[in-house]
Amino acid sequence: MYSHDLIIVGAGLAGMRAAVEAVKAGVNVAVISKVHPLRSHSCAAQGGINAAINPKDSWESHAYDTVKGSDFIGDEDAIELMCKEAGNAVLEMDRMGTPFSRLEDGLIAQRPFGAASFDRTCYAADRTGQVLLHTLWEQLVKAGVQVYEECQILKISEVDGQVAGVVAYDIKKGEVFGIQAKVTLLCTGGYGRVFLTSTNATASTGDGMALAYRAGATLADMEFVQFHPTGLRYSGILVTEGARGEGGYLINDEGDRFMTKYAPNKLELASRDVVARAEQTEILEGRGRDGAIFLDLRHLGAKKINERLPQVRQLARDLEGVDPVYTPIPVRPTAHYSMGGIRTDKYGATILPGLWAAGESACVSVHGANRLGGNSLLDTIVFGYIAGRELGDKLGGMDMPTLPESEVQGVKDQISELMDRPDKGVRPASIRERLGEAMNSYVSVFRHPDNIQKASDLIPTLRQDLTTMHLDDKSKVFNVDLLRALEMQNLVDLAETIIAGAMNRTESRGAHSRVDFPDRDDENWRKHTITKWDNDAQTTAFSYEAVRTVGKDAYKPAVRSY
Amino acid sequence: MSDQVYTLRIQRNTRRDDGTMDTKWDEFQVKATPLTPVLNLLEDVKGNQDGSLTFRQSCRSAICGSCAMRIGGKTRLACKTQIGEVVDENNTVQITAQQNSPVIKDLAVDITKFFSKVHQIKPFLQEGSESAEEVDDTAFDQVNHVTQCIMCACCYSDCTMAEVSDEFVGPAALAKAFRFISDPREGKKSDRLKVLSNDHGIWSCARCTMCVAVCPKDVKPMEAIVKLRTRAMDAGNMDNYGAKHAQAFHGDITSSGSLNEALILNRTLGVVGALGEMGAALHLAKKGKIPSPFPHKIENLDEVQAIYNELEKNPLDVETKAENAVPE
Ligand SMILES: Cc1cc2nc3c(=O)[nH]c(=O)nc-3n(C[C@H](O)[C@H](O)[C@H](O)COP(=O)(O)OP(=O)(O)OC[C@H]3O[C@@H](n4cnc5c(N)ncnc54)[C@H](O)[C@@H]3O)c2cc1C
Ligand code: SF4
Ligand code: SF4
Ligand code: FES
Repeated sequence: MYSHDLIIVGAGLAGMRAAVEAVKAGVNVAVISKVHPLRSHSCAAQGGINAAINPKDSWESHAYDTVKGSDFIGDEDAIELMCKEAGNAVLEMDRMGTPFSRLEDGLIAQRPFGAASFDRTCYAADRTGQVLLHTLWEQLVKAGVQVYEECQILKISEVDGQVAGVVAYDIKKGEVFGIQAKVTLLCTGGYGRVFLTSTNATASTGDGMALAYRAGATLADMEFVQFHPTGLRYSGILVTEGARGEGGYLINDEGDRFMTKYAPNKLELASRDVVARAEQTEILEGRGRDGAIFLDLRHLGAKKINERLPQVRQLARDLEGVDPVYTPIPVRPTAHYSMGGIRTDKYGATILPGLWAAGESACVSVHGANRLGGNSLLDTIVFGYIAGRELGDKLGGMDMPTLPESEVQGVKDQISELMDRPDKGVRPASIRERLGEAMNSYVSVFRHPDNIQKASDLIPTLRQDLTTMHLDDKSKVFNVDLLRALEMQNLVDLAETIIAGAMNRTESRGAHSRVDFPDRDDENWRKHTITKWDNDAQTTAFSYEAVRTVGKDAYKPAVRSY
Repeated sequence: MSDQVYTLRIQRNTRRDDGTMDTKWDEFQVKATPLTPVLNLLEDVKGNQDGSLTFRQSCRSAICGSCAMRIGGKTRLACKTQIGEVVDENNTVQITAQQNSPVIKDLAVDITKFFSKVHQIKPFLQEGSESAEEVDDTAFDQVNHVTQCIMCACCYSDCTMAEVSDEFVGPAALAKAFRFISDPREGKKSDRLKVLSNDHGIWSCARCTMCVAVCPKDVKPMEAIVKLRTRAMDAGNMDNYGAKHAQAFHGDITSSGSLNEALILNRTLGVVGALGEMGAALHLAKKGKIPSPFPHKIENLDEVQAIYNELEKNPLDVETKAENAVPE
């Protein structure tokens, strides 16, 4: 059994930013991550990070864009906090060593991004996430923070209403162990793998959300799933919004630049939900090809593409076999980001004492029903920093709980049971495929109640299969087969909350688009969906929570047009 | 493009209780188009044929550095490698774990050795007297390039020198060191150059270009190493065999137009050192691994001289500037 004041689960941007801050306060911090920190999915972020650092811009304008982008369901106190902190957060990353792209005078370069009223997305070519992640890792190494690498948490231990730490599995050794801590901070990222095709990494299985939910924390707004307008047709791999920021067009199979019809002002740079729906409409009405429409970069020319979007060019060549200098890239709306997550206050605390969350796994909520491009990296850095700072202050005065040995034993038993199963049930991959397929087909860009019901009907079958699925790999070390089986449980839990949330919300708002309720309904639905696991009934329990407002006229719900 | 049947011949490794490795080969047939990434095929096998097949992966888009493995005799990222590019005439490809790191299971290696090298070069910006106050738009031209590195270890796996020396810091770590030394904000450039001039650092590289050839992110570690050598010598770090060798080499070519091979090792290392180095040289020769830019038989010294002159005229420096990231 190990013991730390603070255990941070996840070594993506949120987790490492929190660790770097907390360690400054002199508390005993450790990080645990199922992949090496540099393998965390934050590395895949291409486009950039928003901050009003230009004197002509203002944090107020950024906050307004974010409130509007959220379709008026983001929490305004948290949004203001994030936008105020943004400038410092980015400049601090620069000081730590991030090589941002520069303007001639040395200022950090910024590019236009969707639904923003100013060009405020700071970037490093098209690999912003990677350089931010590497910078924070460098700082983590510098500070000498202990990292439990390639160790996956399988349980959040709750004892008498207080979280006492986590139970984890060392992938390299095959050992189960406990880490007790005054506070467990979850920075475990998103759950893209609930969907069959997604821009997310295979490690994005929403473990933190699901385990927190099982431990008694609440999840918020799970029905709001962002579909990115430009995932590659076959793999779902992302082509950054920066490609449209640099001037790329969306065209249908007939060569028409169709966004002129759907968002005459902002065109390709309208909010993501708007663009994704436009694309899906084109595809459904037969103007796509093989389920895709096209991102046309040809007019940008080879030089600009090489300078600004080198990774995009390479990915298109490697994964779709097209060179964007000569041929439009086939793309389609693809599951990308979870606006929902573990419900926290604006500092990161959940309703469970001893449990905090930040980054994509949390729902603070700054993104509401639709996240703006460039706001998520910002969310991780700002709220990682804030959680680290707050906990650095608070931990000294807190007591160390006891993590009972029985909790560790419980997880060991769970693993043995799974390993000992006869080779009769399905493989974990089969469950993931059926779940992902149903979510892709029935709970994506447009949602019809009959379809949502079909997805819902599948859940009991999948739960049954979870109890009988078998492993091919019975070995002790590096048993990925085992881990994927355990992750399946998480994916099914989360899918259930997404499906039920989508069924309940009888309106269309942001990324949630109900074909039978096409309009936003502020009177009944300007509120957060709160989901809690009901252990007695073995199902999800719902409640709703008002949006946290600050009383500014500018933030009053209005028609959202771009 | 239509589907074809491909055969993946995969090395399966299991560690026995006594620590030794049990190795066998398994063949799997998969259907795919030539454009399909190898990683997808491995996933196909794992999901539908044998769930025990073990390999690392995560991002699927050549940015997380997880999936480096030997595919068709070269270390590559499985997610970035299309099957059609690597199969032989029988549509078969052989896949094994990375080299130069201990194998844990099947295609997954222990990454701690590789990362310990990176830790060794102090991989973070340091405060100090040498940091520049201001940066301009060109300040990161050199930095940008090496920060493309995703720490996948492809280069380390195929590095000639890492194969014969566990101590060698290796291409990725040295490229990372260059990243800091070329950053105007770094405060301890001289200290770094001094440490890197020590044994197992910049002078241990055999300049075999393997790292440049296999790097999936175009980092060109060897060029970073060459630049580090120049900077280290410029900064006065001459008291090491590498710098002396470079000087001796330079002296020979310019004075007699050819190298006095028999003597150069002596002048560099002294007699005892030269004897010590023979082991490594023999080992390299045995593996057939002193590749380009030097031909196998170093007979045509005029060619060497030509290369040397060419490099004098066109230092490698210009090539490693990043073409990206600098807005108009
Ligand atoms: C392709 C792509 C491009 C994007 N581009 C942008 C962009 O340009 N701008 C922007 O603002 N946002 C972008 N986003 C969104 C943004 O990158 C993510 O939301 C953000 O990086 C999430 O960071 P995180 O720290 O919350 O989690 P992650 O970086 O996902 O890290 C999660 C961490 O948790 C660990 N973990 C998970 N489960 C466990 C477990 N059970 N046990 C132990 N450890 C665990 C993982 O190992 C990992 O270290 C993009 C997202 C994607 C997918
Ligand atoms: S230099 Fe290239 S091959 Fe080596 S670790 Fe970095 S990205 Fe990988
Ligand atoms: S050039 Fe040097 S660092 Fe690169 S592979 Fe060869 S010996 Fe290794
Ligand atoms: S899976 Fe991330 S680099 Fe291949």
